Amino acid sequence: MYNELHARSAFSFLEGSSTPEELVAICAGHGMGAMALLDRDGVYGSPRFHLAAKKLLINAHIGAEVTSPDGWRYPLLVESQAGYQNLCRLITCMKLRAQKGEGHSSPEEVAASASGLICLTGGDEGPLAHALAQGGIEAAIKSVEQLCGLFGRGNVYVELQRHFCREEEARNQAALEIARQLCLPVLATNGVCYAQPPQREILDVFACIRHHRTLATAGKLLARNSERHLKTPAEMAQLFVDLPEAIANTQLLSSRLKFTLNDLGYQFPKYPTPNGEPQIHFLRERTRGGMLGRYGADNERARLQIERELAIIERLDLAGYFLIVWDIVCFCREQNILVQGRGSAANSAVCYALGITAVDPVGMDLLFERFLSEQRGEWPDIDLDLPSGDQRERAIQYVYQRYGQRGAAMTANVITYRGRSAAREVGKALSFDPETLNRLTSLVGAWEYKDAHDTLARQFRDAGLDFRHLPIRKFFELCLLVQDLPRHLGQHSGGMVICQGQLDSVVPLEPATMPGRVVVQWDKEDCADMGIVKVDLLGLGMMAVLEDSLQIIRDDYGEEIDLGRLPAGDPLVYKTLQKADTVGMFQIESRAQMAFLPRMHPQCFYDIVVQVGIIRPGPIVGKMVHPYLKRRQGREAPDSLHPSLEPVLARTLGVPLFQEQLLRMAMIAAGFTGGEAEELRRAFGFKRSEARMKDIEKKLRAGMNKQGIAPAIQDKIVVSITSFALYGFPESHAASFALIAYASAYLKCHYLAAFTAALLNNQPMGFYHPATLVKDAQRHGLKVKPIDIITSHWKCTLEPIAAADSSPESDRHSERSEESLLINSFALRLGLNFVKGLRTEIASDMIRERNIRSFASIDDLKLRIPAIQKSELTVLAEIGALNSIADQQGHRRSALWQVERAARPAGPLLESSAESETPLLQSNSPLAPMTSEERLLADFRGTGLTVGLHPMAHHRATLKRQGICSASELRALPDGVPVRIAGSVIARQRPGTAKGFVFLSLEDETGIANAIITPQLFMQNRVVVVNQQFLLIDGVLQNQDNVISVKAQRIRPLTLTRAAAPSHDFH
Amino acid sequence: MAFASIHIPGFLIQSVVRPEPALRNRAIALIDGTPPLWTVIATNEAALQSGIQLGMAKSQAAQFCAVEIRHRSQPQEKIAHAALLDLGWSMSPRIEDTAPDTVLADISGLASLFGSAENIARELAARASLLGLAANVAVASNMEVALLASRGFPGITVIPADEEPQRLGLLPVHVLPVSPETLEILDRWGIRTCAALAALPLLDLSERLGQDGVRLHKLARGASVRSLVLAQTSLCFEEEMELEDSVEELEPLSFILGRLLDQLCARLNARSLAANSIHTRFKLDPAFENDSPRLKEKARHSANKKTAAKAYEKSMTLPVPMRDSKMLLKLLRLHLQSDPPAAPILKVSLSADPARPRPAQAGLFQPLSPDPEKLELTVARLAHLVGDSNIGSPELIDTHRPGEFRLRRFLPPREEFLGSNHRPLTVFRIFRPPLPAQVDLRDARPVCVSFNAQCGHVIAASGPWRTSGDWWREDTWQHDEWDLELRFEPVLDQIPHARLAKSPQHGVYCIYFDTLRPNWFVRGIYD
Repeated sequence: MYNELHARSAFSFLEGSSTPEELVAICAGHGMGAMALLDRDGVYGSPRFHLAAKKLLINAHIGAEVTSPDGWRYPLLVESQAGYQNLCRLITCMKLRAQKGEGHSSPEEVAASASGLICLTGGDEGPLAHALAQGGIEAAIKSVEQLCGLFGRGNVYVELQRHFCREEEARNQAALEIARQLCLPVLATNGVCYAQPPQREILDVFACIRHHRTLATAGKLLARNSERHLKTPAEMAQLFVDLPEAIANTQLLSSRLKFTLNDLGYQFPKYPTPNGEPQIHFLRERTRGGMLGRYGADNERARLQIERELAIIERLDLAGYFLIVWDIVCFCREQNILVQGRGSAANSAVCYALGITAVDPVGMDLLFERFLSEQRGEWPDIDLDLPSGDQRERAIQYVYQRYGQRGAAMTANVITYRGRSAAREVGKALSFDPETLNRLTSLVGAWEYKDAHDTLARQFRDAGLDFRHLPIRKFFELCLLVQDLPRHLGQHSGGMVICQGQLDSVVPLEPATMPGRVVVQWDKEDCADMGIVKVDLLGLGMMAVLEDSLQIIRDDYGEEIDLGRLPAGDPLVYKTLQKADTVGMFQIESRAQMAFLPRMHPQCFYDIVVQVGIIRPGPIVGKMVHPYLKRRQGREAPDSLHPSLEPVLARTLGVPLFQEQLLRMAMIAAGFTGGEAEELRRAFGFKRSEARMKDIEKKLRAGMNKQGIAPAIQDKIVVSITSFALYGFPESHAASFALIAYASAYLKCHYLAAFTAALLNNQPMGFYHPATLVKDAQRHGLKVKPIDIITSHWKCTLEPIAAADSSPESDRHSERSEESLLINSFALRLGLNFVKGLRTEIASDMIRERNIRSFASIDDLKLRIPAIQKSELTVLAEIGALNSIADQQGHRRSALWQVERAARPAGPLLESSAESETPLLQSNSPLAPMTSEERLLADFRGTGLTVGLHPMAHHRATLKRQGICSASELRALPDGVPVRIAGSVIARQRPGTAKGFVFLSLEDETGIANAIITPQLFMQNRVVVVNQQFLLIDGVLQNQDNVISVKAQRIRPLTLTRAAAPSHDFH
Repeated sequence: MAFASIHIPGFLIQSVVRPEPALRNRAIALIDGTPPLWTVIATNEAALQSGIQLGMAKSQAAQFCAVEIRHRSQPQEKIAHAALLDLGWSMSPRIEDTAPDTVLADISGLASLFGSAENIARELAARASLLGLAANVAVASNMEVALLASRGFPGITVIPADEEPQRLGLLPVHVLPVSPETLEILDRWGIRTCAALAALPLLDLSERLGQDGVRLHKLARGASVRSLVLAQTSLCFEEEMELEDSVEELEPLSFILGRLLDQLCARLNARSLAANSIHTRFKLDPAFENDSPRLKEKARHSANKKTAAKAYEKSMTLPVPMRDSKMLLKLLRLHLQSDPPAAPILKVSLSADPARPRPAQAGLFQPLSPDPEKLELTVARLAHLVGDSNIGSPELIDTHRPGEFRLRRFLPPREEFLGSNHRPLTVFRIFRPPLPAQVDLRDARPVCVSFNAQCGHVIAASGPWRTSGDWWREDTWQHDEWDLELRFEPVLDQIPHARLAKSPQHGVYCIYFDTLRPNWFVRGIYD
């Protein structure tokens, strides 16, 4: 019986064209009992290969092709755990000293790691073929003898491959002779590169991508034929009918390969306690200490919960894990880095006591089993939110420093071919010109909702590609075939794995593109599947905003804000949320959230938790939103299905919204343990299995029978659990996010200037473009000052303003007199980082120079900062940043006039005189000042926003004559009246859950209006809706529960100005 | 002095519409690009109003039913340009070939023929109309003013000398010959018209835009003065002779060709140039059908389809630039012998592409090689014998497709090749085309092969050797090859083919099965 022992998958990156799962499926289909995966310089695909093979009861042998200094490769098979560890270390060693995607192992390194590995003599790229080509049979014998010296005579197999090729057969004859002379066993393999023959075409395209050629010019770099697929044992037996021992040896060798990825040998590191005391004791002490701070001395419920959790942690031997995460959090606290645990860790009172999370699970009655259970047999998952950028990097570097370069690493992110990348690279291989490829890739849509017309075929036709041409047909087919195949290895945004001992003996490590970082060869899911504990250090833009806001408040307002001690139930915050006035706030700023807020009418913190958790695909698809709303508004009575479930479902009015509720329902109604309930959630989760679901349902019903629940109620409970399990959101996670949402809302309401400055300094983030954030802040009374070379810093800053200098707009719009005092005490000065094309170093030079001496003129600026480019000066002049140093007239055009002279080199003859004389002889500009429309255009062109009037405000009188209502006027109109609205499109959405409906947000000077477009209307006006920046929409006003939108009936483009910020599209 | 500028707005469209007046009132869009990926490159106003946009794909443009989609035609553009030059020359001997769409003519002294400047402009527009072109014509005493006015004002414009700055002032700055960068600067300054540009202080402008600024300022004021650059024919050497009686034989034709080549070479010599290639064009006698059966017979044997047309064209590319008229004549004769015209010749045109002559001195250490001129003559003689496409150096193509090669122009081997010791061990003789064969199989292996009326029994077989490829092309292939040692037994008494008479009784052959067109063939024999 034949077993394929030399196969590559697409994880050989451009040298294989099938996924490990495809290979395994075909292997099972052929009735093979075992298979080995030998990807190039890595074990990237081995977890997926192992898991797929496990399901189909196939022996998954692990190995790799390891590159030698001469370019040929050692095909190595892992025999034992020691062999696997050696292979991982060998690859790590090679990867860490080379450039990404390169590297080789010297014979000495191979010799040092040869134990537990079996070496084949390889196919085209193996040592035997190389030696034969270089020096004939003598050299080949010598080469095989060297392999025997490295790996031991019993661990070398002479490999024979037959792909119907003359040269290969000549090599086989030489190999047979060598095997005979050296008394080595022969082994048949097919050097598999793909599962099925048609995938040879993908391999040819990959060869072109690898060698930067096209199919027309690749010549013999392409495959000779399509024979490198996974052949049936019968086909292989027929091929080697003259050498039956070569086939028989595949089974013998397979039986020697005892290692599987089940024996990975991974251990989480132990935390080094100060006095060498047991970790659990140290954890108990830390937790108790923290508990006193969090709960006080006499909170018995908290004490009991913590003791229970500690007992489980002790039994599962996880104290080290908690201490290591605690250690990271302590480091962040010491370094003043904001940190907060998210996800299911917030269910743990131990995490809360240790300061890892900020949500009180006892107070909120959260379910610990969602985080950790004895039955589950999986590691817990703690995710830490950190401010994105440098602060997060510091935390990551701390972990590296603490556990060593080979003790900790980031998880990988396997980048796969998607629509655009597939079209671009396949198109290049097929010699399509760049212009067509650009046209095509720009058409590959990114709407979340795909209607029946949004096919790749349609996108091809839209790009003007005719399917009657064979190359175009092939282009299309290949684009589909390469979808989801691995392209290269990236780095996960925050997932870190840590190991007791050496991580490089568990999985090979590679250098990341970012200096100082190391990544493992497996992605996050693979690590989880292989039982490797991961700590996610995630960058959260809003954490950076909060941190920056606190710093600005400290520096400018002179106040110290502790986010942990913000006043709960601040009336202004809730009033603002109830009005859905939430632009810029964390998680609750989107159009969908804004449409829900007035209905939800949040009045307490738990309402924000619900608000964060409910506007998700899960509750929307699970049809939970409307029942909850009806009950909340008193239009329907809460129904908890069964009195016993009342305590669980009461706070969400009988509607199960969170995963924890689902677990508790199972625990109460069917008497499940925490672990069994979590198993139920997973059984009904994303990786559903019919058989597993049926078993669990049976168990659930049996449990409910025991509790005496009537069959009709049982049905309701089962439906409720099964339909929701797939989409549920963890309550703990919602609560963690709700805390951040509350903090952002509090800061926006009370420290608008600081919050807006921090928000602008951390772009891009959130739902809105900076132009919209600035307009929103201005509507709330904040004075926003333009960029000025004299006063602006790199980032946005605050400037104190006298009462007399307060913005008339702020007086007009500010509704809160006491807040307006605070708001009006600071103006926001836009930073130089908003100047398009201005380099950071030039900005620093300008700030340094002006601190020494003010700039006298533009000539002076140019003289003192010679590195500044004309384009930079021009954009500064165009946005008015140089007005104050231009000339006596001091307008943008006069600055542009001066810039053009200053930027022109004086020439070698006059250069020295120009430097020595102060250029005071500045003539006034003959140019007329810019019109307001020109200024607006220049603002958007140079900074992407304007601090002046909104583009719509310039045309309000005309718009009014056309019967167009402003966004604010809509609030006063009754439901059902026909209206006409217009504005700049700031967001276009076609959510996957909305059945093809498109939602537009139109901004004008008074606020944001929402329009809903039916799929039919969208299809009729697709080009206008997608491409036009300003739209005029006729429709019917929907004003329900203070949620205002316009159901569009007619859409027209509006030609007002070219000045507008790009919209945020296609969520 | 007075100048008239004739400008053809929408030149690309007009050049296509010109031969088809019916298109004039229709919406039309021109497409260009690499097939099948054409995009719209020019439209007329009607097409724009229909919704066509520049840069659209052909398939998108095709959705606008009211719009006529045409391909860009560079030959038509050349002809339209030539017509425009003709228009200029028809009025004045002093014209400037300013741009493909613009011609400037010195019209001084034409008043006595046509009257006022306006009449001259009208006459020019009328003549343009007769040539199928709608022109903007502007007359001014300053040639730059006339040029700008013709580009900026539609129809006929006459600008008196004292009104030039005012009239020009109305024009947008983009009609000036201005670089995109400068145009961007002017736009930023808010300078949109020539008047606004002219109003800027000249010194300040020169400080900012340099001499380019000064030039534009002058142009905008109508103060730019320059000389007319008289239109000249391009550096093209052409000689032609109209014959009173048609010529049928090569010998008398050789006299004419020799004379023309002498003149051509003398002109080239005078300019210190040589010919890189020679283009021959004959106007053929249309009445030949009835009276020259011998030439008709000749034409039937000729493979070149051009011989059936009323004109005959042939180009001869030379290996090195030459100006030896005798050598050129010999080459030309050989070319004409291998591909003679199909009818008596009425008019002979010869043109030469000029190039710098070859330096006479070769490198000191360069080995002796045949004189390139003589070598070319030899190659031409061989080409006359075997056909143009069957001579050259064979070159293998980098592909797995069996037997693929191409012929490239023969060049003497370079030094490094002369010293190479590379000798193949086995020689394989390929049958082109491959010979169809009948193959008997046993256990999927060939046992007997019949081809060319002979039957070979397989003594030893090796294979199959499988190749396939070019799957993205229509002519994809998939072959299973076998190397066979065959022993032959004649199956026919009569030997029909000469090759069989020489074929060995025993041989090693390569046969293959074409999987896509299921048939067996013999590819060749191992010597």
